[in-house]
Amino acid sequence: MDNTNKFDLQYFLSDMSFKNWAKGLNKNDIAYWNSWVQHNPKHIETVENAKAIVVGINFKPQFLSNEKVDQELSKILPKIGLKTSTKQPLTKTRPLNKTIYFSAAAIVLILLSWTSLSLLNDHNTITHKTNFGEIIDLKLPDGTSVVLNGNSEIFYEKDNPRLINLKGEAYFKVKSIPSTNAKFWVTTNDLKVEVLGTQFHVNTREQKTNVVLDEGSIHLEFKNGDVTKMIPGEMVSFSNKSNEVVHKKVTVETPYALWRGGTYAFNEIPLKDVMLNLELTYGLEVRYSSDHLKDIPISGGIPNQNLKICIAAIEKATGTRIINKGNILQVQENPIY
Amino acid sequence: MELHSDETLWYFFKKGEVNAFSLLFKKYYPQLHVYGIKLSNAPSLTEDCLQNFFIQLYEDREKKGTIKNLKAYLFVSFKRRLIKQLQKNQKNIPISEAQFFKSNFTFSTEEIAIHQEIQFLCTTTLSQLINQLSPRQKEVIYLKYYSNMNSKDIAEVMDMNYQSVLNVLQKALSKLRLASENQQLKSILKKS
Repeated sequence: MDNTNKFDLQYFLSDMSFKNWAKGLNKNDIAYWNSWVQHNPKHIETVENAKAIVVGINFKPQFLSNEKVDQELSKILPKIGLKTSTKQPLTKTRPLNKTIYFSAAAIVLILLSWTSLSLLNDHNTITHKTNFGEIIDLKLPDGTSVVLNGNSEIFYEKDNPRLINLKGEAYFKVKSIPSTNAKFWVTTNDLKVEVLGTQFHVNTREQKTNVVLDEGSIHLEFKNGDVTKMIPGEMVSFSNKSNEVVHKKVTVETPYALWRGGTYAFNEIPLKDVMLNLELTYGLEVRYSSDHLKDIPISGGIPNQNLKICIAAIEKATGTRIINKGNILQVQENPIY
Repeated sequence: MELHSDETLWYFFKKGEVNAFSLLFKKYYPQLHVYGIKLSNAPSLTEDCLQNFFIQLYEDREKKGTIKNLKAYLFVSFKRRLIKQLQKNQKNIPISEAQFFKSNFTFSTEEIAIHQEIQFLCTTTLSQLINQLSPRQKEVIYLKYYSNMNSKDIAEVMDMNYQSVLNVLQKALSKLRLASENQQLKSILKKS
């Protein structure tokens, strides 16, 4: 087979590992591409050209100083009838920043503990399932990326890769197809998310579904027939069982898990909520030797891909002792503290 | 890491939030400012134009839809506005866009850092070499490496297709490479 046309500039430039090689960044990538070049001498010119584009020219941009920009800004604000932001109380600035921060840091939580779906046995169904503590990156046939958290599952019919069923927790970056305006759906036990092209989280654990939207806009259709629209930075939570809807702006105070990067990030979250995350992703049971331990607050990032390290981090952060006996985690006071 | 994504900024900007306006202004004013001066070679005209540009952007915010790519959008609409202004000012001498920018887009020595790869070239030589490129090549180089724009956005700003952006980049860089190799040869010959 002749692959000559495949290896054009675009091919190399769209490859992250190639860029790493060109910049001399990652040992594996450097080794890989060095040997690739050796074995494919006829592509050397394209490779050199692509490398030159990646390396490029190093500029030291001479941008205006911050003072000058502020000065220009203060000239322009009165002209458009806005007050200068410096005159506004600090509190006014903070909520916006927080919201922005939050939505930039893509967050998805989905919890659904019991879902029964009838489609499972169909041999035309494609299923991706993760084990406890496993996180996988998936590319669906239409180009959509999915990050699937531990103990989670998505499945769809071969003919319809834009209609996804989800159990557990996942982050979606939907590829929009402008030519046909093709939609994308995620169905859970509680609701259906309808999307054109966007980034959002869905979490179906805890017998309800949480959706957090990062980018774009989506429609939700609840199992009870209600419909709602979401804008970036919002979270909607719905439980079919209790028929309860929560629709709010996400703030930093909202407990969330940045699990995609392999870390749970917590901000003053009580230990019991942190452990709940572990119960769901690793399928464990947590017991406490004393109730007051449940409320020890945790802040910071905890690695979640290795249970041992995860437990060690939590022990450190809370000053407790956690004993792992089979599938039971026993939390107790640490005699040293 | 970038704290405020453009989508979020634009969303709040459209709602008329003063903080979003300020953040967007602070983020893009410096970049558009340099870009405008490089294009027009006229600092005070660029500044006036940029002021009006932001005012109009704010006033028309409700008319504008969701903008997928804010950076490319701002660059392209500011460029259009600047060209219009330049043409207005020089009404009596009708000249084409290409002529406008022929002498412009120069890079100074201070703006260039030296790569390890081409260490034998001093910044003076490199800036001279870059300034000898065609205006189009210079603008693409500027957008790519000075403004850190990706090639897809450059295609939008320059009104070219993606493949031609890559071609222009490739040609410009091989020109530079060739010129720097010649320089290197010359310096070796001089020494001996």
